Amino acid sequence: MSTLPVPLLVVEDDPNVASTLSERLRGSGFTVTHAPNVAAATAAIEGGHFQLALLDVGLPDGSGFDVARTLQHRSPGTAIVFLTAYGTPDDRIQGLELGADDYVTKPFVFRELLLRIHNALRRAHELQQPSAATQGAVRIGRATVDFARFTATVDGVAHPLTHKESAVLRLLAERPGVAITRDEILDRAWSADEFPTQRTVDNFIVRLRRLVEQDPAHPRTIRSIRGVGYLFEAS
Amino acid sequence: MDRKGALSRQQARQSRLVAALAGIWLLLILLLGGWWATIVIRQATRVAQLSIAIGGSEAQALQELQETQRMLFWESSTFLLLLLTLSAALFWFYWRDMRRARGTQAFFAALTHELRTPLTSVRLQTEAIAEGEPSPELVERLLADTHRLESQIDKTLELARLEGGGSLAEQAIRLDPWLPRVLGTIVGTEGDDARLEATVEPDLPPIAGDTAAVQMILRNLVENSVRHGDVAHVAIEVQARRDGDGVEVRYADNGRGFDGEHERLGRLFERGDQSRGTGMGLYLVRVLMDRMGGRVSFGKAQGGGFEARLSFKASA
Repeated sequence: MSTLPVPLLVVEDDPNVASTLSERLRGSGFTVTHAPNVAAATAAIEGGHFQLALLDVGLPDGSGFDVARTLQHRSPGTAIVFLTAYGTPDDRIQGLELGADDYVTKPFVFRELLLRIHNALRRAHELQQPSAATQGAVRIGRATVDFARFTATVDGVAHPLTHKESAVLRLLAERPGVAITRDEILDRAWSADEFPTQRTVDNFIVRLRRLVEQDPAHPRTIRSIRGVGYLFEAS
Repeated sequence: MDRKGALSRQQARQSRLVAALAGIWLLLILLLGGWWATIVIRQATRVAQLSIAIGGSEAQALQELQETQRMLFWESSTFLLLLLTLSAALFWFYWRDMRRARGTQAFFAALTHELRTPLTSVRLQTEAIAEGEPSPELVERLLADTHRLESQIDKTLELARLEGGGSLAEQAIRLDPWLPRVLGTIVGTEGDDARLEATVEPDLPPIAGDTAAVQMILRNLVENSVRHGDVAHVAIEVQARRDGDGVEVRYADNGRGFDGEHERLGRLFERGDQSRGTGMGLYLVRVLMDRMGGRVSFGKAQGGGFEARLSFKASA
């Protein structure tokens, strides 16, 4: 990874949490841009590039989920870590399904947050490093996937991929014709402390099929292997 | 906060299912009622026909048939109406309970947020101090956050006490000079650079109230202005004046005010802001005013800020 300061976006509406968190992150070698609400976060995303965004879920003019959606469209390479005071299973599932790299419940220990930030950055960096099978433009079903840019182009239209979608697609594309179990997909694409379920994997596959399959109801590119998992059939 | 997540989708699905079941239930009642009335009327007609067949008077049979039909019409209509009313009442109670349960859920989510956020800040600052980075700003923030936690806990305890039937100690309170002095202390604690202008009309009668309750009302209003006003420099104006037999205290700030329905403010589980606060502060203002025999109304101040009018009874 680069030794330059890593640019972070901190979206947090509580002034005391935001100030102390930003100061501590700067002290840990990050360049921090703070936005107190969705509007300021959107302006910051349009005006700059961030390697990681720390998003509070509850914001005065919307939610961290709204900012995550903007990031997916404007800057799909940015890793996302949600910070939340709620921490209900529904919030966590929504965050994970939006492609968040991690989900941290308040109050947190700063060292643990730092560790999670570094893990998310490392995973994002690994995702951007092409393997032999995922270098350049890769044809997967009807989509042309650029793993370095986190985009899947279908009929000339580029669709942003979240980090998780990219990780799942990449895992399948690297081993065509081999059945990959749901547990392996969970192990490779999610961190152990995110508590995703096999249902989460299935939801991601449904979304990926909408992109790559001619007929998502009768998938031919990402096939289900009953009782095992999924298999990528290279055309 | 975004509460339109998986939970809201699940609730919307549940509501649609209940509405569909209610529709099916009502349709079933109407069909059963119609079926029952048809069968009984058919039987009555047959009895009338048999009565004529065995040599009875046709006119008498027709008259009895008409009477039976009339009786059946009123009986079945009354029965159906009762059944429909009962069903509607059941669905209304169900809907009200669901709404209350969702409100309670949202209230506790907001309360959790209000407690966890300052706790996060306290933890971050304490860790920084423990690692050898103490600074006056950190200590100041730490104090502000502990104060926020204290205030939240005080409000929660007061809410629990009042909901449990807790009483107030009513006495005569002379507002001059008590009101400006108490407000000065509260504004000094809640907002460093907030500007206060408090005036009390001369020769006001003392109000009937509990000093602790009136202080909590004023503290909640000031806290509301400081936290939700969204202005760099909060300015608060308070005027106490005679209002008929009682006393009115008009409280106004220079904040952004509240754009929604003001009648909804001060009801538990109703908040002016979608992300911050539990709504408990203004609810306590309303409940405490009610308990002291007074009333409160919320509105927009002349400059667009938030306004509360507190009407107190004069002490006998």
